[in-house]
Amino acid sequence: MPLQLDVFLLILRLLLIVLLYLFLMQVVIAITRDLKKTAAVSANPENRAPPVVGHMIVVDNADGISSLSPGMSFDLAPITSIGRGPTNTIQLTDNFISSEHSLIENHNGIWYVRDVNSKYGTYVNNQPAPANKPLPAKPGDIVKIGFISFKLVQ
Amino acid sequence: MHRFSFRNAIRQYRWQELVLLIIPFMILLLEMTQLLLARLVHAGTVNGTASLNVKNLPTIEGLIPVLGLIGVLIAVNILLSVFFPKTDQVLLPLVGLLSGIGVLMALRIGPNLLPPFTDPALGTRQLIWVMLGFIAFLITIFGLRSMDWLRRNYYLWAILGIVMVGITLVHSLRSNLNSPTHDQLNIGPLNLQPSELLKIFLVIFFAAYLSKNIDAVAEGGMRIGPLHIPPFNKLGPIALMLGLALLLFLGIRELGLALLIYGIFLVMIYLGSGKISYVIASLVIFVLLGFIGYKLFGYVRLRFEAVTFDVLDWQNWTPAQQQFATGDGLQIVQGLIALSSGGIIGSGLGLGHPTFVPVVQSDMIFTALGEELGLAGLFAIIGIYLLIIYRGFRIAIEASDAFNQLLAAGLTSIFAIQTIIIAAGNMKLLPLTGIPLPFLSYGGSSIIANYIIIGILLRISHNTARERQGLA
Repeated sequence: MPLQLDVFLLILRLLLIVLLYLFLMQVVIAITRDLKKTAAVSANPENRAPPVVGHMIVVDNADGISSLSPGMSFDLAPITSIGRGPTNTIQLTDNFISSEHSLIENHNGIWYVRDVNSKYGTYVNNQPAPANKPLPAKPGDIVKIGFISFKLVQ
Repeated sequence: MHRFSFRNAIRQYRWQELVLLIIPFMILLLEMTQLLLARLVHAGTVNGTASLNVKNLPTIEGLIPVLGLIGVLIAVNILLSVFFPKTDQVLLPLVGLLSGIGVLMALRIGPNLLPPFTDPALGTRQLIWVMLGFIAFLITIFGLRSMDWLRRNYYLWAILGIVMVGITLVHSLRSNLNSPTHDQLNIGPLNLQPSELLKIFLVIFFAAYLSKNIDAVAEGGMRIGPLHIPPFNKLGPIALMLGLALLLFLGIRELGLALLIYGIFLVMIYLGSGKISYVIASLVIFVLLGFIGYKLFGYVRLRFEAVTFDVLDWQNWTPAQQQFATGDGLQIVQGLIALSSGGIIGSGLGLGHPTFVPVVQSDMIFTALGEELGLAGLFAIIGIYLLIIYRGFRIAIEASDAFNQLLAAGLTSIFAIQTIIIAAGNMKLLPLTGIPLPFLSYGGSSIIANYIIIGILLRISHNTARERQGLA
């Protein structure tokens, strides 16, 4: 029996819906594969975040001027930048911290604290760090950034 | 650009994109065939119960519009493979399919529009606009050599956009205030809508400004006790631009565009600052503005009236309600009837009566799609939009700096906000406003603007991929 036009149109209609959802499925599969690839790239150890070599614990938040509460801990990488700007390793939102404030580095187990032209200064045990010159520090020292004091912990 | 070599071209060919394009091509060819057959049945030359044979199958000439579109998509795929091999491969098939469905709907609706508006060339013009859109896309992706150029001249873009809309404002005030859309600029045969470009310019401006002042905006300026005072001096220029844009739209009575621009502003300020407090504050201001608008403008009241109108209870309508359904509320009521008559699988392209809805080709295209493709088709189309938006935000996440991230996210949210405002408007969930459904509505400016957005997104994706390669 020959195919009637009405029936043919109904088949076309159903076929359209099947094709639309097949297309959506195909795109979702492509996207999932893409996500898995990205996940594999970031699981690769070379691309992972740098190792944590020490910590910095808030000991004095200058009578509540800053929103950081004493006891809060921050991870330190071999090179850690601290400041208000979003590009820093540790971003601290405080009015007395410059957008790029200080740099804490660890070379062969020794810490170096460096001030990056900040407005309110960086101190190690109350000794001001000169601009852009690293000041050595050891675990247990108090590092003051602006008005917030941190204790350096290995 | 790198030197061209045949082997290189094969190796970096965008196979994924080509494979993803196959089903859209099949869908378009199938729909065109359906449309041509439906026309035959409609015209009465062939009876519906007649058997199918080669004689009443459409000839190859009927498929020309779709074949042309397929040719353009393949050409773009090849061009991208040669010059931008690493850019996103999913967006083009998604956008191509939507544009194709848009062209088919215009082809279908044009000849059947109610008498004074009958326009057999509607589909052809839509097809030409899509082709011009692809040209705009290529100009954008090739021309945007450095994103820095966009960022540096950010005030220029904002001012250019405002001036363009200002000219239309004066123009429309001089002519007449009673036509439904006023943001049109008639230059010879062209009907330009400068507001379509304005939204792109505003996103570029917001992105450049916010990325420049991201610290200040993210932190808030001062703190008095528990209260956070935003840095007004930093937010000033943004608020000024926003206010100017909104004022212009109040002037030309484009409620939908005002809503869209405010939505973009909210998205970008949230993405730039990460603070929900800005969003809440802006929403409160928005509700206040909306209330003032409701009190001041009759046409806004009318739109809200339509949302609260009870359609289901049509048997017990009062005379006043009857009059509303055939007068001011005709569009929305007819749109709902069209949607409901479509059912789950729809009436089939060319077999419904979408043209009973006034202005169906642009503002109410969603109801035409619902009637002829059904609920299943509408869900698939919304799925395509979701995937486009997902892809856009993914390009934003992967981008290398704050400006590119904000730009990509802002441009993507244009699609998201536009789609939700007009789809919800068509379904009587929000006041109906006259903004186009991206890629599907008839309208040249809108299509070209959308393709420029896709061009910028793919350029950002290309830049990111190239930087990654440079690092690896």
